[in-house]
Amino acid sequence: MVSSDLSVEVRDLAVTYKVYEEASLDLSQLARRGFRSRRTVTVDALQGVSFDVHVGEAVGIVGSNGSGKSTLLRTIAGLQKRQSGTVLVRGSAHLLGVNAALQKSLSGYRNVTLGGLAMGMSRAEIDAAMPGIEEFSGLREAMGRPMNTYSSGMRARLAFSIATLQVPDILLIDEALAVGDKSFRKRSLARINEIREQANAVLMVTHNLKEIRETCSRTIWLDEGRIQADGPVDEVLDLYEQRDD
Amino acid sequence: MSIASSAARSSELRDVHETDRLGAYVNVMWDRRSYVSFVALQEIRRRQVNNVLGNLWHLLNPALTIGVYFLIFGLLIKTTRGVDNFLGFLTIGLFVYQFTQRSTITASKAVVSNRGLLQAIQFPRAILPVSSTVTELLAALPSFGVMILVVLSTGQGVSIRWLLFPLVIALQFVFNLGVGLFVARLTTHVRDTSQILPFVFRLLLYGSGVIFNVDSYAEGDATLEWLFRLNPMYCLLTLARWTILGGDLDIIVLFSAAIWAVAAFLFGFWWFRRAESSYGQQ
Repeated sequence: MVSSDLSVEVRDLAVTYKVYEEASLDLSQLARRGFRSRRTVTVDALQGVSFDVHVGEAVGIVGSNGSGKSTLLRTIAGLQKRQSGTVLVRGSAHLLGVNAALQKSLSGYRNVTLGGLAMGMSRAEIDAAMPGIEEFSGLREAMGRPMNTYSSGMRARLAFSIATLQVPDILLIDEALAVGDKSFRKRSLARINEIREQANAVLMVTHNLKEIRETCSRTIWLDEGRIQADGPVDEVLDLYEQRDD
Repeated sequence: MSIASSAARSSELRDVHETDRLGAYVNVMWDRRSYVSFVALQEIRRRQVNNVLGNLWHLLNPALTIGVYFLIFGLLIKTTRGVDNFLGFLTIGLFVYQFTQRSTITASKAVVSNRGLLQAIQFPRAILPVSSTVTELLAALPSFGVMILVVLSTGQGVSIRWLLFPLVIALQFVFNLGVGLFVARLTTHVRDTSQILPFVFRLLLYGSGVIFNVDSYAEGDATLEWLFRLNPMYCLLTLARWTILGGDLDIIVLFSAAIWAVAAFLFGFWWFRRAESSYGQQ
C-alpha cells in the first residue's frame, strides 16, 4: 500500500439531495400532506465518483452548471452528507467560497473573530492575524463598521480573508477568485499560491479555464455527477472545450 | 477542518464525516468552547447598545416587569391566596419562568439565523443552540440579582438554603439546553414554530403557577396534583421557591425536575444531531 503520499481519497462517492421543499413548508401544507408522507424529489448530484489526489497536486474541476462540482467540494469539506462511498483526507480540508456572508449586523472585526473561533482558532491566534487581514483585505477603517454597510466587493474581500485565516492541509476553492477589483484579485491569487505552497493539495472549481491552465497540474471534468475525464490539464480541457462540437 | 489544530495534523488519512461518531463530535464541541463564550458576551453587549440607559436596562427591565405584575396580580386582582410572601413568590416564579421562555425562543432562531456561517464553515452545529442558551443564562443573571433584592425587601431572612438556588438554575439550564436543541431543529422544518412558541409559553405561564399559587387549586384532586408534578416548569419553579422561601418540599417534584432535565437534554441532543448535515442548506 503506497498511500503515504495520498492527500485525498474518494471512493464510489454518491451524493443525493432530497428536496423536501422544507424551507418553505408551513403548517397548513404539512397538515394537508400528512405529517408522514412528505413528498420528496431525489436529485443525484454525484454518482460513482472515485479519484485520488496526491500531495503537491493542484486539481482543477470543470463542468457545466449543475454538474456537481460544488457538491463535490462541499462533500470533501465535510459540509455535505454523502449517500454512500468514502472520503478520506489527510489533515484539515477547508472550503473557500464566495458565500461566507457571516453576521451582517456585526463589524468586520467581529466577523473575523466569529469565523476564526468557529474554525477552531484561539483568540490569540485570531488577534495576531488581525493586522494582516486589515492590510490584505484593504478594508482598514471599514473593519469597525457593520458588514451590512459593505459593498458586495468589500464583503467578498472580507469573506476571502476569513476563509484564508488558516493554512489548511487541503484547500478547496469554489469560484472564489472571481471576486473584488483587479488589485484584490492579484493579491488573492498571490495568497492562494502562498497557501498552495504550504498546503498539501488544492482542488479548485472555476469556469475560468485560463486560471486552471495557469495554476493546476491536473483537471477533472464532471458531467451530470459523473467523472467524464481525469488527466493532464491540456488533454482534459481540450476535450472539454470540444464537448458541444 | 474538523479536529482542528490538535489531531488534524496527524499523518493518517481520516474520514471527513468522522463527526458522525458521537465521541469525535463532543470533542470538537469542547474544542470550540471559546466560540460559545464569545458569542454570548457579544450578544449581551449588543442588546443594550442603542438604549440611552445602556447596561442599566439589564437591571431596570426585571425591576419594571416585577412592578407591573405585582400591580396587576398582587394589588388589583389579588391572586395572593395561599401565599404568605406574594411579592417573593411572584418574583422568583416570574424570573425562573422567563429564563426558560427566553432561552427557548432564542434557541428556536439559533440555526435559521446563521445560514452564512453554516454554509461556510464546518463545525458541530449543536454549538449554535448551546451558544444561545448560554447567552440567555448570562442575560438572566441580573434578574436573579434583582430577585434577591426584592426578596430581601419583603423581610425574608437569609438562609443557607439559598446556596441551593444556583443548583436549581443549573438543572434548569440543562433542561433549557435540551429544549433549545429540540426547537432549533424544529424551526428548520416548520418555520411556524416561532409563531407557536409564544402561545405555548402563555399556557405554561398560567399552567405552572408562575403568578398565582396552583397548589391551592389542586389540593385534594389527585389527578390535578400529578399533572402539576409532571409539568417540568411547575417543578423547577417549586424547587426555586423552596430554596429561597423555604416551606415543605414534595420530593417527587425534585425527581420530576431532574428526570425532565436529563431526558430533555438527551433527546434534544440526539434529535438535533440526526439532521446535522442538513442545517444551512436550501
